[in-house]
Amino acid sequence: MTHLWVEKYRPKKVSEVVGNEESVKTFLEWMESWESNKPTKKAVLLYGPAGVGKTSLVLAYGREHGYDIVEVNASDWRNEEKMKSIVGESSHNATLNGSTKKIILVDEVDGIAGREDAGGISALKKIISESRVPIVMVANNPWDQKLAPVRELSLMIEFKRLSKTSITRRLKEICEKEGIEVSDDLLGKIAERSKGDLRSAIMDLQAVAAGKKIVTEDDLKVLGDRDRVREIFEALRIIFYSKSIRGARAALEGLEIDPETLYTWILDNVPIQITELDELAEAYDILAKADIYFARINRLQNWKLMRYAIPLMTGGVVVAKKSAPKGFQKFSFPQKIRLLQKYREEREIRERIALKISSKLHLSSYKANKEMLPYIGFIISYAKKYKSRLAEYFEFTDEEISYLEKIYATVNEREEVEEKKQEEVTTKRMKKKTSKK
Amino acid sequence: MSLEAITTLPWVEKYRPKTLTEIINQEEVITSLINILKTKTVPHMLFTGPPGTGKTATAHAFARDLYGPNYIEDGWFVEINASDERGIQTIRDKVKMFARQIPMGGEIGFKILLLDESDQLTDDAQHAFRRVMEQYSSTCRFVLAANYSNRIIEPIQSRCAVFRFRPLMKNDIIRRIKWIAEQEKLEVDDAALEAIYEFSEGDMRKAINTLQAAASISSKIDEKSVYYILGYISRGEIRKIIELAIGGNFLQARDELRKLIYVQGLSGSDIVSAIYRELFYLDLSEEDKLELLDLLGEIDYRISEGGTEEVQLMAFLARLAVKSKKKK
Repeated sequence: MTHLWVEKYRPKKVSEVVGNEESVKTFLEWMESWESNKPTKKAVLLYGPAGVGKTSLVLAYGREHGYDIVEVNASDWRNEEKMKSIVGESSHNATLNGSTKKIILVDEVDGIAGREDAGGISALKKIISESRVPIVMVANNPWDQKLAPVRELSLMIEFKRLSKTSITRRLKEICEKEGIEVSDDLLGKIAERSKGDLRSAIMDLQAVAAGKKIVTEDDLKVLGDRDRVREIFEALRIIFYSKSIRGARAALEGLEIDPETLYTWILDNVPIQITELDELAEAYDILAKADIYFARINRLQNWKLMRYAIPLMTGGVVVAKKSAPKGFQKFSFPQKIRLLQKYREEREIRERIALKISSKLHLSSYKANKEMLPYIGFIISYAKKYKSRLAEYFEFTDEEISYLEKIYATVNEREEVEEKKQEEVTTKRMKKKTSKK
Repeated sequence: MSLEAITTLPWVEKYRPKTLTEIINQEEVITSLINILKTKTVPHMLFTGPPGTGKTATAHAFARDLYGPNYIEDGWFVEINASDERGIQTIRDKVKMFARQIPMGGEIGFKILLLDESDQLTDDAQHAFRRVMEQYSSTCRFVLAANYSNRIIEPIQSRCAVFRFRPLMKNDIIRRIKWIAEQEKLEVDDAALEAIYEFSEGDMRKAINTLQAAASISSKIDEKSVYYILGYISRGEIRKIIELAIGGNFLQARDELRKLIYVQGLSGSDIVSAIYRELFYLDLSEEDKLELLDLLGEIDYRISEGGTEEVQLMAFLARLAVKSKKKK
């Protein structure tokens, strides 16, 4: 198992942290105020986009200056109780002069708010005001209303996206250490894609470069989808587990795919995620309405209508889905594109057959496909004695004949069931006729 | 071609009328065409009427009567299908190629080009085609076949003698089927004839195809065997999809539906029509059928408005499954 480069190359020292020099300086000053026992504030809130070094800075600092990092992230604690037991203990017992200096690192603090865990926030507030150790909180979005109480108590330090140059430089260092040859141009492209997120740039680099000696332009092609897919799965999770239309609609925020693509994903996952029949019918009803809005948008080029399509396709699922599925159902990729490829060969054979029929029988190939092909297939499969002669007449190849035979390959298996049904239908029609008379 | 081989031709071809007098139930049209044959002054012609009423067959029979049995081989007659060749440029090129030269030794100074399914041409293509008609009229006469005359622009209609083909009557179809059955030495009972007619919806081609498919199993054909055949050929797939949906297997139903759309190339409206035919035979209350009928109409409309086949049809199938569950 190869190590993740994002872990392997995480900065060991504060000086290795890339970019955001001012913010790093402010953080160091704040830690010095703790070292000299006169903390300006009990807590700091490091905020900014993902992958710019917020957490890395804290870890590097701790390592360099001999601190234990007591790390909790939003997924660890959901209620006040747990909050107190993990964080509270540490904040009371630690002494800065003892051998075990501590920093409490609360990662993804905006995640607590997101989970509407107000108890956790108020507990955190209490802990901050009573704390005797530095508390570092990390967030992408610190401006959530629910974080207001802890904001007041904290020194706010903003981290910005990293420059393309500094990301490229870091990627180059990694490549040198790994002994991989990648042109500056390609590294620049990876950096560009990352939009100032060093972590994702390193992830991408590992994805395209791991195990290779030389990386070429072609290798980059795998990247586009990988990122997007991760984003889409997250969006689907939000949509299918949301409780409100607004919540579901929020799944599109920051998503760099067009709503129609997301729509095909939702559509494909509906029969997997929603198993109750009534709910499924409801969901399809609403999605079919969203589909109409998409058609209108495309026809009229009226993008304003998107504001109806989006809540319908996202919120519609929320409204329809009332019960949770039995057990967790994985989200799936839209099948359509894969199917189109899978079916392409078959479709092409069918088109060739239709074309041959059309040239012999004075029909458009569309009508030949729809009206004649099924009959010819049936006769070829059923009346074997005509097979070779019909084939000769239409100049079918062996491949085309076996396709035609395949259409009715299941006939025999279903024969008995079908026969019974046919009888029923026939009897019904007979009855109808008799009653008419 | 050996005699034996001929008997295995698709019957729609084998029993295609060879001369104008064999055309069924279009007396007015045929009388006029025979007059035209006598004078040999052939105008551009527009044949309109429902599918399977003999438009293409009439064009061929007319050409054969005019030029003789080798009308195609000798290069007098060519057929282009507008729904396969929508681009006006292709048509123009083909017309040019075809009309440029007149075969030697003919007493008639023009060729005939049949543009089948010409109502499939866009308005723009039709306007361009109208010029083509004028440019080449000295060497080529055009026969346009179309289901709907209102989809042919006025300027073209005004340049053509318009012949309206009547829908075939029940008796026309039954008489023809009976006659083919005699030629093929089949026993077809009356109920089977009724069933073939009912399904054909007035389309002779469908009727003949059904007969040949039934004959490929047995030379004795009764009503049961006709429905049996139709069950597979034109209704088997849609019924399977409906059954899957009713059974709650939506993923499988969706797969089958996708095969119809992506492999068979059926249009949304083809599938709606197939469901429509099944709807009345489902095990549902009359109220539910009516409600589903209304929904199907809505979906038909939506698809014609640009809606996506798959989601619209799945929405219908899910509703259908709900109704069917309620019934149980």
